[in-house]
Amino acid sequence: MSVRARLADRRIAVCVGPGGVGKTTTAAALALARAVEGGRALVCTIDPARRLANALGLTALGNVEARIPAARLEAAGLRPKGELWAMMLDVKRTWDDLVSRNAPDPARRDRILGNRLYQQMSSALAGSQEYMAMEKLHELAVERDYDLIVLDTPPTAHALDFLDAPNRILDFLGNDAARAFLAPAMGAGRFGLRLAQLSGAYAARLLARFTGQQALADLGEFLQNFQGMYDGFKKRAAAVRALLGRPEVGFVLVTAPNELALAEVLAFHDRLAADRMPVAGLVVNRLTPDLWTDEGPLPAPAELAALLPGTPARVPDRLPALLAAVLAEHQDLVRGERAALAPVLTRVVGACAMVPRLETDVHDLAGLARLSAWL
Amino acid sequence: MWTCHPPLASLSSLVADPTLLDRHLVFVAGKGGAGKSTVTAALALLAARAGKRVLVCEVNAPQPRIAALLGAEVVGSAATRPAIHVLNVQPAEAMHEYGLMVLRFKAVTHAVFENRLIRYFLRAIPSLAELVVLGKILHEARSRGPQGPRWDLVLVDAPATGHAVQLLRVPSALLDAVPAGPLRHDAEWMERLLVDPVQTAVALVTLPEETPVNEALELDAQVRGVLGMSRAGLFVNAVPASRLSPAEVAALAGARDAPPPLGPAVRAAALASIRAEEARRHLARLRAALDLPTTLLPLLPSVGWGPPQVEAIADAMARAWRGDEEAA
Repeated sequence: MSVRARLADRRIAVCVGPGGVGKTTTAAALALARAVEGGRALVCTIDPARRLANALGLTALGNVEARIPAARLEAAGLRPKGELWAMMLDVKRTWDDLVSRNAPDPARRDRILGNRLYQQMSSALAGSQEYMAMEKLHELAVERDYDLIVLDTPPTAHALDFLDAPNRILDFLGNDAARAFLAPAMGAGRFGLRLAQLSGAYAARLLARFTGQQALADLGEFLQNFQGMYDGFKKRAAAVRALLGRPEVGFVLVTAPNELALAEVLAFHDRLAADRMPVAGLVVNRLTPDLWTDEGPLPAPAELAALLPGTPARVPDRLPALLAAVLAEHQDLVRGERAALAPVLTRVVGACAMVPRLETDVHDLAGLARLSAWL
Repeated sequence: MWTCHPPLASLSSLVADPTLLDRHLVFVAGKGGAGKSTVTAALALLAARAGKRVLVCEVNAPQPRIAALLGAEVVGSAATRPAIHVLNVQPAEAMHEYGLMVLRFKAVTHAVFENRLIRYFLRAIPSLAELVVLGKILHEARSRGPQGPRWDLVLVDAPATGHAVQLLRVPSALLDAVPAGPLRHDAEWMERLLVDPVQTAVALVTLPEETPVNEALELDAQVRGVLGMSRAGLFVNAVPASRLSPAEVAALAGARDAPPPLGPAVRAAALASIRAEEARRHLARLRAALDLPTTLLPLLPSVGWGPPQVEAIADAMARAWRGDEEAA
């Protein structure tokens, strides 16, 4: 069964995998395929390559979905029965929306949005992108009626970061040790350190030397303003987590046939299984096509020389040896890839799409359509 | 930070244009997946073969790779093989170490920096993690033993493009923001060492493909503009060998669908030729835009990576450099 077929009864597809394996392209191709078949499909990408973004018309977009004009699809030779929508996640704006929804009053909202540390954190804190990608997915799943939402996920240093990000960020926002450390700033409105609790002036001297007093003051103010909103955030994160375990969701593991990428995808697969998250399938991009399905040994140069067009006398000397060498190298690569893939294929449940290395980068709608035929 | 030793004197400042391995500190930077770790490991091998004492730093790597690539023995966050020392520089450890240098007493350091809180502040305060990590690396680069510099060469397997620039610009950002004082003093010597073209340089790593080439060009512009650092060279990884000429492939087109063994051999040749052509196109784009000594490294027909592959890449580097000398 194809990955597309496995996704036919799902409303949400989450593409996960290491960076540089064609995750964004795969996500876009899956959405396009559903649109062509007659559904309303949305692809939500994080950081698409410029030419793919142009192809999807994403350049002018903010944090909202936009429909790819039917004329643009028709110009690429496609006759979609449904609609293709696309959006690019704006991490900062998603944070701002979340804060605005949870703030008890406008004054508190403005104090948080204006806090320097918050501004830095909402765009730069590790895990922030992953957290907001899930937050946005929840909003889209609950408030819109797409037949299929395909979420592209940010490349993580470690694949598991994606699932852990919300907890890590929540731990950051609700860290009691830090709140205690910065407590005097909260009550008095003036900044100071509760030195007695932490071996006195050493801590103050050292931290302030690194950060300056202002950064610590910003942090204290931020934590103070955030108190009380924490429970709302926590409930929301739990809801997002619950959504990801529902049967209408399908995780799509995207990888390339090299050891590093495969090890990462396998770790992710095992983690999804342990957390009872539904895996829809595996997409292996950039596979080298097997050209020697024969059981027999690879040809020697002399064998090829005898078969080359033209009389043997006119065949240049180097050609048979080169052809034999190129085929042997090619098949070495094939064997290596298959060997690296074998343990993954026996473990992964669900559909499996083997996509051959395409001859050029996929960067337009026609290219996406060709790719989707393999999925 | 780490001001225990006097700055290393620029003894080699008479050399006008030092080659990469004559530098003292080299940051290997490029897009994720472009092969930075492999290039870093191969450079370490070549330097060690030339009799240099080498320190290789990974930056907060969740899964350190250099030690395995070099076949080195791992002890905690450090690993060694003869003449090469490998270190995974992690923010929390670097901050502890710094605390020790300032506070002198281990017990006090632990009391001050209860681990959970350190990790918290490293995440919460912008650029703090970068500062301690870069400080640790630069401290190593200028630390001295009884007989002179402790390391002849410090190689850094830098994080992916954007993060590498963030890391390297911390000292100059501090100079903009911090008034006179000990922190400013630290930022000053760090910045001086980074922009010293004799001692320090960035080596760019890329692949002959669309996105990696674009990113290499952007990184190069940032290294020159934002960072003002010297560039020691460009490494292009996984360059496919050009076997048959396009004309030869075209002449064989009729045999593509021939039965085995000829058909498969011709199809393999056609695929190889397409890849080589694509690579040539992107290389031409790189060369037109970047005026840098460029080292092409072969695409190895291998899926797994370990010491034999790194040795092969180091040999290819050495061959490429010798070829340049002969040509010149």
